[in-house]
Amino acid sequence: MTNDSPLKAFLVILLTALVCSSFVSAAVVILRPIQMNNKMIERSRNIIKLTGLVEEGQTPAEEEMLELYQGMDVRILDIDQADYNPDLDPLTFDARRAASNPELSVDIPVNQDLADLGRRSRYAPIYMVPDEEGKLDRLILPVHGAGMWSTIYGYIALESDLNTIAAVTFYEQNETPGLGDQILRPEWQAQWEGRRLYDDEGQLRFAISHGKVEPGSATWLYQVDALTGATVTADAVTSIIHYWFGPNGYKDFLQKLRELNGEVG
Amino acid sequence: MTRKDSFIKPLLDENPITLHILGICSALAITNSLTSSLIMSVSLTTVLVMTNVAISLIRKHLPSSVRLIVQITIIASAVTVIDQILTAYLPDAAKTLSVYVALIVTNCIVLGRAEACAMKHGVVTSILDALGNGLGYSLILIVVAVIRELLGNGSLMGQSILKLVHEGGWYEPNAMMMLPPSAFFIIGFLIWGIRTWKPVQKEAADFKPVPLPDREKR
Repeated sequence: MTNDSPLKAFLVILLTALVCSSFVSAAVVILRPIQMNNKMIERSRNIIKLTGLVEEGQTPAEEEMLELYQGMDVRILDIDQADYNPDLDPLTFDARRAASNPELSVDIPVNQDLADLGRRSRYAPIYMVPDEEGKLDRLILPVHGAGMWSTIYGYIALESDLNTIAAVTFYEQNETPGLGDQILRPEWQAQWEGRRLYDDEGQLRFAISHGKVEPGSATWLYQVDALTGATVTADAVTSIIHYWFGPNGYKDFLQKLRELNGEVG
Repeated sequence: MTRKDSFIKPLLDENPITLHILGICSALAITNSLTSSLIMSVSLTTVLVMTNVAISLIRKHLPSSVRLIVQITIIASAVTVIDQILTAYLPDAAKTLSVYVALIVTNCIVLGRAEACAMKHGVVTSILDALGNGLGYSLILIVVAVIRELLGNGSLMGQSILKLVHEGGWYEPNAMMMLPPSAFFIIGFLIWGIRTWKPVQKEAADFKPVPLPDREKR
């Protein structure tokens, strides 16, 4: 059979495809458990920092971290219904993948789309940290939205009053190095601690200020210092918070949870 | 060309980045950190060796009408396997490298070596050629990454070398070095330097500029 016969071309392609696909499938199947484990560790590493269960600056060992992670009450929240969805498995649910699945996501009307998301998942995994009596101690909620160059992803932990910020973390971003990426600086994130989202009338007041915030001033309760030279990133973070804690985000759910007074239902 | 040549030449004389200007995409994107550059270098060299060996082995049975399809299939499979291994064993590095590992498929160095070398030579020469080109690529990546990470972040492989101002030191980092255009400048300077040192690499002009019409005759 010469190299130029169509049959030979067909056979060569068929064999190459078979051999290559078996290599690829073998790699995927053998490595999947390790990759899943990495994903769990990665996710719990981001969240554990916000639980207040580990000391500041400490990174617990992987086993300890997974144990803490499993001690939390993780649920899938139906954001628009402000209720839990018991049918989805919080351990495997992937909100990012869900955002591109028409059945699991919704289009956000342009006039409501403060965080420039376009589409978002209907559901979000939420993490509840119980205190000794089993009451809600902290609630950790995922947020994301458009930054200057790409999407910023983070988590916000609220105290049991569901208004005071306990901690914040941004775990994925691509802001301008040296300017916008200061949102990763622990000193800056530490300022969020103790700030409030809503005022007594229930108005969402939280913002990244455009200047230095004087301690004790009227806005101090609700504002975090600006980031020098990163106005776009700072405004983007404010918008992200305003979207996710506004009426199209978690606001209704927080209201509902507040009425339950610490019982998580 | 001897076997030794096929290993030595791509290091500098026929370097894939500075002479052929291939593989620029990843060289611009990931060289802001020395660690990512090293991982990228190892990944690309491994892929090159794997594909060159595979293609060299079957080169006599490749109908010329479908050879590119077969080459790309092999390259894509090798890259997918490497990508999977990285996400399993080096998850943090895989995250910073993100799409650039998968984009090795479209890295012209790999297909270029398959066509230029593996299709014509035996396995041993192909391996040496792959190693040579992989190391040539790595060399440039490492040089660029050392400059960028040191000047842009005062560190090498994440270890602080020049103490930064906002950490209480003296060094004000050059933020531009963290952005892709700086790699463009550095590679440009490298090409200029190498071609001044080895003028044989200079290319002949593609065309002669048309002389302006003589003023007096007009």
